[in-house]
Amino acid sequence: MQHQENRNRETPPKPERYVIKSIAVGIDCSPHSMASLKAAAELAARMNAELIGIFVEDINLLRIADLPFSQEIRLYSAQPESMSTAELERLLRMQARQAETSLQHEAEIFRVHHTFNVRRGIVPREVIAAALEADLLVLGRSGRSPTCRKGLGSTARSALSGSTKNVMLMRTGFSAEHEAILVLFDGSEGSKAALRIALSLVRSGNTLHILILPQTENEKATLEKELSKLIPSGILRVEYHMLPSVTDSRIIARYIRMADSGLLVLSDHMNLPQETVHSLINEVDYPVLLVRNQSS
Amino acid sequence: MSTPYALHPDKLYRKCDPAEFSFTTTEELDGPLEITGQQRALDAISFSVGMQHDGFNLFALGPNGAGKQTAIMHYLEDMAPLAGVPDDWCYVYNFEKPRHPEALRLPAGMACSLSAEMERLVEALFTVIPAAFSSEDYQAQEKVIRETFQEQQTAAIEELEKRAAENNIALIRTPAGFAFAPIKNGEVLKPDEFMLLKEAEREKIEKEIAALKNAMQSIMAQIPKWQREAQDKIKELNRLIAGFAVKPLFAEPGKSYSTIVQVTAYLERVENDIIEHFDRFLEKDSSTQELLPGLSVMKGNFFNRYKVNVLVDNSRSTGAPVIIEEKPACQNLIGDIEHLSQMGTLVTDFTLIKAGALHRANGGYLLIDARRLLLEPLAWEALKKALRTRQIRIESLAQLYSLVSTVSLDPEPIPLDVKVILLGERTLYYLLSSYDPDFSELFKVAADFEDDLHNTAESRLAYARIIAAIAKKDALCHFEKTAVARIVEHGSRISGDAVKLTAHMQSIADLVHEADYYTRRNNRRHVTAEDVQMAIDARTVRASRIRERIREATLRNTILIDTASEKTGQINGLAVYSPGGQSFGHPGRITARVSLGKGEVIDIEREVEMGGPIHSKGVLILSGFLAARFAIQQPLSLSASLVFEQSYSGVEGDSASSAELYALLSALSDTPIRQWFAVTGSVNQHGEVQAIGGVNEKIEGFFDLCAARGLDGKHGVLIPAANIDNLMLRAEVVDAVRAGVFAIWPVSHIDEGIEILTGLPAGEPDPEGIYPAETINGRVSTRVQEMALKLKKFNAESKGKAE
Repeated sequence: MQHQENRNRETPPKPERYVIKSIAVGIDCSPHSMASLKAAAELAARMNAELIGIFVEDINLLRIADLPFSQEIRLYSAQPESMSTAELERLLRMQARQAETSLQHEAEIFRVHHTFNVRRGIVPREVIAAALEADLLVLGRSGRSPTCRKGLGSTARSALSGSTKNVMLMRTGFSAEHEAILVLFDGSEGSKAALRIALSLVRSGNTLHILILPQTENEKATLEKELSKLIPSGILRVEYHMLPSVTDSRIIARYIRMADSGLLVLSDHMNLPQETVHSLINEVDYPVLLVRNQSS
Repeated sequence: MSTPYALHPDKLYRKCDPAEFSFTTTEELDGPLEITGQQRALDAISFSVGMQHDGFNLFALGPNGAGKQTAIMHYLEDMAPLAGVPDDWCYVYNFEKPRHPEALRLPAGMACSLSAEMERLVEALFTVIPAAFSSEDYQAQEKVIRETFQEQQTAAIEELEKRAAENNIALIRTPAGFAFAPIKNGEVLKPDEFMLLKEAEREKIEKEIAALKNAMQSIMAQIPKWQREAQDKIKELNRLIAGFAVKPLFAEPGKSYSTIVQVTAYLERVENDIIEHFDRFLEKDSSTQELLPGLSVMKGNFFNRYKVNVLVDNSRSTGAPVIIEEKPACQNLIGDIEHLSQMGTLVTDFTLIKAGALHRANGGYLLIDARRLLLEPLAWEALKKALRTRQIRIESLAQLYSLVSTVSLDPEPIPLDVKVILLGERTLYYLLSSYDPDFSELFKVAADFEDDLHNTAESRLAYARIIAAIAKKDALCHFEKTAVARIVEHGSRISGDAVKLTAHMQSIADLVHEADYYTRRNNRRHVTAEDVQMAIDARTVRASRIRERIREATLRNTILIDTASEKTGQINGLAVYSPGGQSFGHPGRITARVSLGKGEVIDIEREVEMGGPIHSKGVLILSGFLAARFAIQQPLSLSASLVFEQSYSGVEGDSASSAELYALLSALSDTPIRQWFAVTGSVNQHGEVQAIGGVNEKIEGFFDLCAARGLDGKHGVLIPAANIDNLMLRAEVVDAVRAGVFAIWPVSHIDEGIEILTGLPAGEPDPEGIYPAETINGRVSTRVQEMALKLKKFNAESKGKAE
């Protein structure tokens, strides 16, 4: 990987303003979803957007309770207990109240307008449906998964594959505001859109890492030239990482881990195949912002 | 018996000739303060200091101001530097038993450096430990352990999830745990769909779900074990990292104290404890952000355990310590455990252990005023306990008496090797010897200081040296030799003996200071004899109010004292008053009356309980004399009464017994006594006149009264001949004697005195024991016979009437 720093290059045009007017965030009270809520509130405050909290009462849970043999194994006793629909509904209402309280708390801190939406149904489906009107859907990388998996949860996976919205997948231990940002750039329109969003998100004082993915060796110079037009001079601290021509998501993930940045901004409308992009998102353990449409 | 002559003026005052001094002023005298005339006490001090065995502590006894402390300090100043410098002592945290702080012994001067080193070390740990734990290497290793645990858990559940999926069953997270449910197209089967399944199928599903539940339960049972294993691994990693970070910091102190086994072991324990509690060093910033100040103090207290409480620091000592404890309270002697108030409760730790005088004097000498020590509650018992057990055990008084009920400490006792020197009056020494069985065990040596010194050339020069030393120490004007001579004379007067000098150096030092005041007021460079005299006179005047009032009352005849006529059965006795330390004499009228009786002498003072036992004894002795001399042939058929006229405050002492006898002889012989004389002296049963105290004050008291009324050449005082050596009279008295207007008569026997007082011979008995008629004894003898006959006749008549 080659490192270069942005120094004394010609003044590029100002980046286009990427407008996000509403941000939907799925809240299931898991640690990742709480991180998502915070990140969403930060973004909403920065972009003066509306925050939409979504809580879904999982219909699958209610169905289990209605099954004749339904039993749950309690977390802290490891003992099976019978499930009751009424009890389950009470617990879900309690979770919903907790989610709403958290949303209100963050909204107050960041002084953003917010609404809260409770739905009942299959979780991924309902979340995507609720976020239809939003410009960005923010989710935890995984929810209340039984396996505590490192990869993506079912809702996150559905959002990647079943939604056309911009999706941000957060995880605990990261902030959207105070971290460096890493953006994947291969000269495609999708990557340019990702770069524009990254430029609007990066805070002065933080570093913007640009991981340049040329398709061929000859393309490197072209990509650098294009970047010089897109990056404003002086204000930002930018680090360029030129990668060799690769298409394997695991290799790209390794480079991303070496850069050890915060939010990864990329698009699934890049020169890379969409599956590679999704696989890359599943691979890296960083918060991800997947840019899918452009606004100006 | 021949009448004695009046004393020559030269006998009345022993002058100190300034010419005997080779110096002009005391400025020429150099050298340290020498103590003379106290050889016995100095030998005792030397013996006690030299004895290394237990119990040979010293009690220096003698009057206050006798220079006991000066003498001891003078000796110790020479001896202490020759002894080795004792070790330092400090208290450190006891990691095994925190309530029992550990005492560390270090060579002199090393305790403070250990303390400073520990402070530096702890400060450095706040940098080193966080640095080690924020290193990438540590973070990576910790992450690996945590992820391994996570993966172990995930793998087990994923496998179960996979097994379930093979049977179209999903593992679903519920709000309170996990549940298994049959699925179709990614959704849980609705109850009615499930019921539509064939029974065999339903049974199969239920069976499979039951098996999965069992498997899930055994996985969940394993999770705490995996968690514990992961925690153990992290703990081990933490120990490794902390040990690696901490060890180099201990290398330097470890090397410095490698020869001191106790310190090496302590440092090892500190190192282990720091490794054990490394996490505390990661919290430094947060501890300072406590909202409640009290809490932050409590949190900060944790690091106190690495402090070193230096109890005794001998880094600047050059020999054995010599400590004077001015306030020997229990806690000032054996030390104390102080407490801090935190959030309304009292807390303490080993850093609040305070050293006592015994700690500071350990390996040396401790001087304590015995009276102050005995006045402090429990201090004497605490000192004895420490000396007996040869160790200092700090006990909180409040704890002992349950005045506070907070958690306190029981510090490890410190071995004690000290020579305790008590300074006190003789009474205290004798009381302690009589009533405290431990005293003679623990204070086997007594340094008995003399009250006075022999008035020799050597001691007079010692006085000069003492004056020089005081002048130098207190930056006073130096004394001319005439002034020194005057002070020597005054020293003799204070001792009440012309052949002695007082050893009460405080009085001499006071006079030196007072004389300096008059020298400065008179703008003189050196103190002269005149300045000293002014100081003496001023002191007398300052204390003269009562004396003046008594004399005034006498001159106005409110107190009746006759100094001009002759009276039968009446005599001027002499008494000494000592209000507030200043003594003065004054005459008092003694009268005697006789009547027929059974041979008893009634002491009116005793009858009304205003006479002390010694006075009563004196009266009984003179009764014995009378009976022996005049009641051999016939019984003493008289009753005599004696009284001190106008005495309202009691009489004690036998110095008036000769005067009482003269008054009685006068009354019996019906011979008047010359009232221009005053008499002092005690008498024995043979009529010998014995020495008394305060002779100078008594003579001066009578002289002052006579002088105020006008001296006519007749006035004089009869004193015991044995008191001639005690005469150090005022210059005015000596001058009056020299001028022939006043006289001092030394008397050895009652017969000599009665001749001077009456002008009649006392009378010697002939071989038949009959006294000549015109003598005092002859008159008394005749009177006694007459009274015996009268009584006999009276008794016979009474008997006849009765029959």
